[in-house]
Amino acid sequence: MSIIKTTQITKVYNPDKVPVRALRGVDLSIEQGEFTAIVGPSGSGKTTLLNIIGGLDRPSSGDVSIAGQDISQLTDNELIDFRKDNIGFVFQSYNLIPVLTALENVEFVMLLQKRPLAERRARAEELLEAVGLKDKLHKRPSELSGGQQQRVAVARALASKPAFVLADEPTANLDSSSTAQLLDIMAELNQKEGITFIFSTHDQRVIDRAQRVVTLVDGHIDHDQDRRTQPQ
Amino acid sequence: MIFQLAWRNIWRNRTRSLVVVVAILLGIWAAMFMSGFASGMARSYIQNAIESKVAHIQVHHPKFVEEGSTIHYLPQPEALLAFAKSQAAVEGATLRTIVTGMIGSSRSNRGTEVWGISSEDESAVSTFDDDIVAGNFFTDERKNQIVLGQKLADNLQVKLRSKVVLTFQDLEGIITAGAFRVAGIYESGNAEVDESLVLVQQTDLLGLLTPTQEAGGQDTFPSTISHELAVLLDGPRQIDTIGQILQNAFPDLLVENYRELAPDLRLYETQIQNISLIYLIIILLALVFGIINTMLMAVLERIRELGMLMAVGMNKMRVFSMIVFETLLLTLLGVPVGVFLGYLTVSYFGRVGIDLSAFSAAMQEYGLSEMLHLELDPIVYTQIIIGVTITAILASLYPAWKAIRLRPVEAIRTL
Repeated sequence: MSIIKTTQITKVYNPDKVPVRALRGVDLSIEQGEFTAIVGPSGSGKTTLLNIIGGLDRPSSGDVSIAGQDISQLTDNELIDFRKDNIGFVFQSYNLIPVLTALENVEFVMLLQKRPLAERRARAEELLEAVGLKDKLHKRPSELSGGQQQRVAVARALASKPAFVLADEPTANLDSSSTAQLLDIMAELNQKEGITFIFSTHDQRVIDRAQRVVTLVDGHIDHDQDRRTQPQ
Repeated sequence: MIFQLAWRNIWRNRTRSLVVVVAILLGIWAAMFMSGFASGMARSYIQNAIESKVAHIQVHHPKFVEEGSTIHYLPQPEALLAFAKSQAAVEGATLRTIVTGMIGSSRSNRGTEVWGISSEDESAVSTFDDDIVAGNFFTDERKNQIVLGQKLADNLQVKLRSKVVLTFQDLEGIITAGAFRVAGIYESGNAEVDESLVLVQQTDLLGLLTPTQEAGGQDTFPSTISHELAVLLDGPRQIDTIGQILQNAFPDLLVENYRELAPDLRLYETQIQNISLIYLIIILLALVFGIINTMLMAVLERIRELGMLMAVGMNKMRVFSMIVFETLLLTLLGVPVGVFLGYLTVSYFGRVGIDLSAFSAAMQEYGLSEMLHLELDPIVYTQIIIGVTITAILASLYPAWKAIRLRPVEAIRTL
């Protein structure tokens, strides 16, 4: 069953001035449990597609269905609630809350979901342990390395038990060792718990680990390679 | 956690937050000091006027007030005085014989108001005896002594023991005159009083005012002629009650309190609150812009983070509340300290006073004392606390609105 389905989505920036067509009729279907990389050169529309799938932006035309719900019809506040309960985000620059500890950062989304303290605390500790940061629970982001911060971001993205995790260039600011560690963690979570990961990336190391690679060129899907069924 | 987040956020930039806290507490302190100063000034003016001339309550023959003629004196003044003194709230009461006329020295003449008084009773009502800067306040038994203000003494170029002549109409309308020696010179702190009012013993004045009696003729007039009963209470609280009691006891006389006698005093009294409010509003206006500036900076430098918060599911209401909360926390840090400092300052200068003798000429011109005692109505504390809190909330609205106007998709990518 598709958890993400886009139908002929287009995105035009500055439609009234100098129109820029970022997406030109993208049809994409992503199944539960996929480990998918969206790749392509700069300006190909990767980030725009990710933003639309993540409910951060709206398409100029076309439909976006997440877990069976058409999100293009939702208001801004409904979209915020929808993102909170259904989508986990990992950003290129980690974007942790600097004044909260690793544990509190992971708890934060669950707090917005109004989950009880005991449940929040237990899940946050469990997730941080899963990303190898059990000994860093009470460290603030400024006390963690880039790789550690990004692992906290992954734990945070998973905290709300989302339908899928969107990661925008998650390894762009990491060194090789941190990248490998992060990819191992995400791959393990994908395989063991069936969590769906969708990356936009330029990083060949990420592309190499992806089960499916969707290549965007000039705002449309140029190539869609499913490595689970096709040879690499 | 929103509270925790807001609390930690305000300490991200410690210096900036402290600047806001200090601005708030200084604003409050300044508002309290200025209000205390203005209230103290107004109170000083009122108190000076009450103690030097007006008293809390005055009783006259209705026509004396209307026409100003000395013929309209109080009937049975002694009974009136005794009745007034019998009231518990009355601190002092005195009868005054009042005429207007001329005072002349060998060098100059001036228009003047002459009060014939009983020095003992007068001392219980006004502060002229305390205001004596040279000579005495009728302490020796000599006849025809006069006490006048320093300013009038200067104008007439007289000093202690100089001779002056009072000229006025007696009760029959005949011009009469009497020579007096300067026994005392006062400085009441009110320039207008100092240059126009002279005091003599009532018996001396009556001798000139009722000449036929003095000559041993017919008793055309009563033995005591008084035009005014001045009553000083132990405070202004019972002014209406005592006024009513006097009026009921002497229905044919005109009983007036200082607010009716001197509308400027009532104006001052009612304006004390308004003056405090005006100072508060001016200071709060300055505070509004300071807070807006700071909180706007706090929002603008956290655009990416705010975008992230909205991206991961923090709704606009919560983002808005967080910014308002941060501002409120800064305010709540500044308010108690500011109020406490303000309270200490007002209390200290309320007790000790501020010496404004460097401006004594100007102060006297306006009927103010040289020592200004700060005073603040307790309601001003409430006004300040509520005012500053509301100001902080209002000032946070624009930055909070800017924050929720951010589009997460754009904000996240802000450098």
